[in-house]
Amino acid sequence: MSTIAETASRGQTRRRMRVDGWRWAGRIFLVFMLLYTALPMIWMLITSIKSGFAAMQFPPQWWPDQPTLASYQKLLDPQNSVGQDFLRFFWNSLFVSTVTTILSVIVAVPAAYAFSRFSFPGRNFLFFAVLLRNMFPAVIFLVPLFILMRVLGLVNTHGSLILTYLTFGLPLAIWLLKGFYDNIPVQLEQAARIDGATRFQAFILIVMPLSTPGIIATAIYSFIGAWNEYIYAYTFLSKNEQLTLPVGIQRFFSENTTDFPGLMAASFMMSVPVVVLFLVLQRYFVRALTEGAVKH
Amino acid sequence: MTIVTGKAEARRRLQPGRSGVLRKIWEHRADYAYVLPAIAVMLIVIAYPIYYTIELSFFKTPPGLQLRDKIFIGFDNYTTILASRVFWKVTWNTLIWTLGSTFISFVLGFAAALALHRDFIGRGVLRAILIVPWVISAVAASYIWRWIYHSDFGIIGAVLVGLGLADRPPNFIDSVSTVLPSLIVVNIWREFPFAMIMMMAGLQTVPEQLLSAAKVDGASAWQRFWHVTFPHLRNVSTVTILLLAVANFNSFIIPWIMTGGGPSNASHIWITHIYELAFGRQLWGVASAYSVLLFLILMTLGYFYVRALSGNERKEGTA
Repeated sequence: MSTIAETASRGQTRRRMRVDGWRWAGRIFLVFMLLYTALPMIWMLITSIKSGFAAMQFPPQWWPDQPTLASYQKLLDPQNSVGQDFLRFFWNSLFVSTVTTILSVIVAVPAAYAFSRFSFPGRNFLFFAVLLRNMFPAVIFLVPLFILMRVLGLVNTHGSLILTYLTFGLPLAIWLLKGFYDNIPVQLEQAARIDGATRFQAFILIVMPLSTPGIIATAIYSFIGAWNEYIYAYTFLSKNEQLTLPVGIQRFFSENTTDFPGLMAASFMMSVPVVVLFLVLQRYFVRALTEGAVKH
Repeated sequence: MTIVTGKAEARRRLQPGRSGVLRKIWEHRADYAYVLPAIAVMLIVIAYPIYYTIELSFFKTPPGLQLRDKIFIGFDNYTTILASRVFWKVTWNTLIWTLGSTFISFVLGFAAALALHRDFIGRGVLRAILIVPWVISAVAASYIWRWIYHSDFGIIGAVLVGLGLADRPPNFIDSVSTVLPSLIVVNIWREFPFAMIMMMAGLQTVPEQLLSAAKVDGASAWQRFWHVTFPHLRNVSTVTILLLAVANFNSFIIPWIMTGGGPSNASHIWITHIYELAFGRQLWGVASAYSVLLFLILMTLGYFYVRALSGNERKEGTA
């Protein structure tokens, strides 16, 4: 629609009216989408600063009479048992997501590079096999993986989650990174090789720096995926001190079914790290999707 | 390693002649080292579970995970499933859930991408806000919406009563007739940003010259969209719709956290139903048979997905 403005050329009043119509439709639509997107999140924030009593009123208080940060204080207070649990879940999530992210970059980079550069027999088959993994739901893998984790002695450890998240993050990571490597001219590496660099040196010194945006995008994707994952964590972990945030919050809510301010505060704090991470690095992420999915 | 960088060298090596496939594989043995870690992890965590699921689907399994005591019963699990009424109910729900979520998410996302394509003040901020629901955890989203839909203190009910549209707050997720649409609204809330990002990326590839040429020829805004922009986005649209469809078909968290499949199975979709059969009622064999059926459906979708992707690649090759 970028050319709509230009279309409204001088003298063509009839066309201008129609063109403005489209533009207004776009604006109204965007306002509608903004409300749809933002209002639930705003309501979450408003509820989180209410007292438990103020939240349970009909009609609701649109803005709390006495705003309070009590819910946040409770969740972040290491002396309080709720706070202890919450901080532990938060730390667990951070640990699992960070390790998953580092490992998936280490595994995905060489694989994506090979899929982009080499033409070994079975390359296409392996590439599509990797992509096909995206098609299958977690539930199919739950029972056998649970048994596998028992054999490996990983039940109730964070290792079980890291290993699982790693494989489920890999397909998209490889796909995104391959898009980046496809766009880096082979000639750059060839020049470095002529100057006497080994293939490995050419990779580390030339290709890696150029693909940094892709690696950042892959890392964000892995981190957000691991941070938000629920089913495996729900199935593999049963010890309270091992739980990650999504499962921990569910357990918290099943014990305090009416503490909506606490629940909303917990949901908010669970969302902060990934939303901040995403907003800071979003241009890499959007660009990676563009290169990977669209230009391919 | 003696292999020279690039496809040119590889192509030279792949010249037809004496060398067979094994020879080629041997010549490229160093290349496999790069993909080996990825393939190894995928084999352990993916191939083995698939094999095991297929095997279990032919057995009657005792509750608990004492699977050594399983009894071979052939296709009985499959006939049990196809004969049950719950199966058809759940399949119908899944169909509505998948088609509804996918179609509306795509249309909203595409429209938002079009509206955001032209530059204006605050575009970046608006785009960032619209993407946020996609980033936050589905568990958090489920709880937020559960609170919004709350039958006594929910904000939507309060607004409807306040405007005089309802006498008392409606039960959105406790009523058989409204539960599924209510959950679809939540799912779309989380998913349209993905379609929006993909289509925004796609819109950048539509050549400006073509649009201006069409304008010179007197095409209206709608004609330009329909005859120039849209055909250019066919591939991106296919990939986006397929990815959305697969994600929706496989979704679990929103129905599970918000309703647990109730009331009376009205919001059970395949995945939540399988989960309940396996981990709730411990019917591992039946759940595995369900998974195999699911697997077959997904393979069909996967075929189209791969075809759409390789379509892109072929295009690139000829360009």
